[in-house]
Amino acid sequence: MAAELDERLEKYAELAVKVGTNLQPGQDLFITAIVQHAPLVRALTRAGYAAGARYVDVLYTDQHVRKAKLELGPEGAVGYSPEWLKERWSAMAGNATFGTTGDPEPELLAGLDGQLVGRDRMTGVIEIAMKHYSDHVLNWSGLAYPNEGWATKVFGKPDVEKLWEAVAFCTRLNEPDPVAAWQEHVAKLKARAAILNQRKFDAIRYRGPGTDLTVGLLDQADWLAAEFTTASGIPYVPNMPTEEVFTTPDCRRAEGYITSTKPLALAGDVVEGLKVTFKDGKIVEVDAKHGADVVRGQLASDERAAYLGELALVDGDSKVGQTGLTFFDTLYDENATCHIAYGFAIVECIRGELGEGVNASSTVHTDFMVGGPQLDVDGITAAGEAVPILREDVWQLTS
Amino acid sequence: MATDELIERYAELAVRVGANVQPGQLVEVLGRVEHAPVIRAVTRAAYAAGARYVDVLYSDQHIRRAMIETAPADVLSWTPPWLLSRAKDIGEEKAAIVALTGEAEPELLADLPGERVGKARMLELAEENMRQVAAMLNNWTVISCPNEGWARTVFGEPDMDKLWEAVAFCVRLDEDDPVQAWRDHVERLERRVVALDALGIDALHFVGPGTDLTVGLLDESRWKGADSVTMDGLHYVANMPTEEVFTTPAKVRTNGVVTSTRPLELNGQVIRGLVVTFKDGKIVDVQAENGAEVVRGQLDTDENAPFLGEVSLVDGTSRVGQTGIIFSDTLFDENATCHIAYGGGYTEALSDPDAPGANIKSSVHTDFMIGGPEVAVDAHTRDGRVVPLLRSDVWQLSD
Repeated sequence: MAAELDERLEKYAELAVKVGTNLQPGQDLFITAIVQHAPLVRALTRAGYAAGARYVDVLYTDQHVRKAKLELGPEGAVGYSPEWLKERWSAMAGNATFGTTGDPEPELLAGLDGQLVGRDRMTGVIEIAMKHYSDHVLNWSGLAYPNEGWATKVFGKPDVEKLWEAVAFCTRLNEPDPVAAWQEHVAKLKARAAILNQRKFDAIRYRGPGTDLTVGLLDQADWLAAEFTTASGIPYVPNMPTEEVFTTPDCRRAEGYITSTKPLALAGDVVEGLKVTFKDGKIVEVDAKHGADVVRGQLASDERAAYLGELALVDGDSKVGQTGLTFFDTLYDENATCHIAYGFAIVECIRGELGEGVNASSTVHTDFMVGGPQLDVDGITAAGEAVPILREDVWQLTS
Repeated sequence: MATDELIERYAELAVRVGANVQPGQLVEVLGRVEHAPVIRAVTRAAYAAGARYVDVLYSDQHIRRAMIETAPADVLSWTPPWLLSRAKDIGEEKAAIVALTGEAEPELLADLPGERVGKARMLELAEENMRQVAAMLNNWTVISCPNEGWARTVFGEPDMDKLWEAVAFCVRLDEDDPVQAWRDHVERLERRVVALDALGIDALHFVGPGTDLTVGLLDESRWKGADSVTMDGLHYVANMPTEEVFTTPAKVRTNGVVTSTRPLELNGQVIRGLVVTFKDGKIVDVQAENGAEVVRGQLDTDENAPFLGEVSLVDGTSRVGQTGIIFSDTLFDENATCHIAYGGGYTEALSDPDAPGANIKSSVHTDFMIGGPEVAVDAHTRDGRVVPLLRSDVWQLSD
């Protein structure tokens, strides 16, 4: 007896396989997801085989298992990477991978010691993953699975249908031809990136309430958008949705302070009112109304975590922004508005060898939102002139 | 008792009595996504017992279904190398293992081509697992996780409370101190083992309505109860529930007729009124009210399939038997009453694993129930005595 299939879910998975990973016949597909995402994982598996996957490898993880480890396990279990798991990650090279988001229990780990949660990262596995990203050997993508817990976080009630509608809107699943809609969208964002690349700004300056930060740019870093390409030439869209143009900044040049404009879901907790202060590129101070310890714990996980790895620009055209929702999910919220990330660089942006200004050895990469109608973003030229890029959420730079 | 408390109690039993997890041990937990509630509780109990690390591996029949439907033929029996490494590590590290049963969708694969379903088995992994079981490296246990699908199979409706009540009764969760109750239960079965071994049994004789069967034993036949021991001397209980004492009989010394006393589930069919005739160990005739051809088909699988591999004694104190429920799950149903199994037997129930008179090598092992209040069981000893073992479902030796 075949299970009754949910047509929308099957279409969503098909779009993710075609546009997201752009899975090629004969590739293996690796899916890593929490158990609550099983319905999406099953649909992705079916879509993967339908697209010609040789083998689909599914690994379910479970936040409750992690919580048990942190509450009751020994110190040695914290951050431990089993050898077989490292072997699985090594085997991903040359293949397609999916990750999923949409936390069914966003506050599950909230009662635990924030420093401990921040330290519990499988660095052995993450190092292998980061190497794959640097080597451009994965066509990878991430997408979200609407569920009751996530819907409750967003709407205050478990209205999964309403969340599905928002997800379908943001991922263009409700368009008559979602694949064509994505091609058009990707072209628009790539045009913005091309203009920024022609301008060759020396720095980006952010000004707004609680914010006055200038971040230097790198000569060897490009602005990118929406689509990456593997070393073997497979184009793929790593995030669905995506609305940003982004680059990797000079990690040695960030001065000032910046205040987040949306809550940050991190390590099972929700950080509110985050304000970070930079000196010589490094985060030297962390304040927050709630959850500052989780951020501090993560910044302490390696010596390069406290430096910037990403700047991303998003305007009011963003479908995510248009929903007016806070999704409490980075995949969505980072596409609502401008953001920056501390930790590992986006090495896809770098031309040539990784220079000293590239923050390429951290195992952390955490985005937090800084944009909104009150944020002014300027490009600073080598001559020191300020050129408006964003005013009141409207893109200013048309050539 | 609330379901949550039953889950905690079952998990506690599985860890303390079943697998007998030792401080500092690696613990493997294997189950389906539908088993998450018990898996999480087992993880907590294992860490509380001092586990070094709890490695949970979830499986998903829907993923398996998609593979069987679409994957290339050579992939069906392929073992991903990282899963083989994982299994080898579990052997080398002498990990404790907790595995779960309770099929949520027993018919999920029923409409797929039988040949591809049959081939869809990770061969290298199965061989590694068999090697490890034979080497007695691990302390392991099998428990169950009630779920809606399984409840529907058993009761025709997804009555989870009713299934939990039945499972809780079978595994003694209703006792004030289930751990102590199990220790008493295991000891009682061990006393039966000692008493049966001391008798020096030449043959067992079953007499009842439609039954007059003699099962010859070997000099090397040894009775086994609930208590198993690893090569390092760790005691564990491999099945929870368990109610049986069993041994591996002589291959060629079973004669007579036996009528099954409970329906037998085989390949998706329920066979009622099974009557089997033996001559010199071999099944020479199979009759049934329905489904006899399913049994006959299975007996053709290989040359050792029509010979007995196990004889097992269960009395009326069996909690599984007392429920009167057909669980459609071998972990439970084989503990309902006395049974025999055609096909390969267990070397652990032999004083010499290479005993030439035993029937070990068969890919078949099918238990069917032959006991009940109307079936008398006698032991014929090698020194010529006839000793009653069961009358009216009451154990006749001192307990």
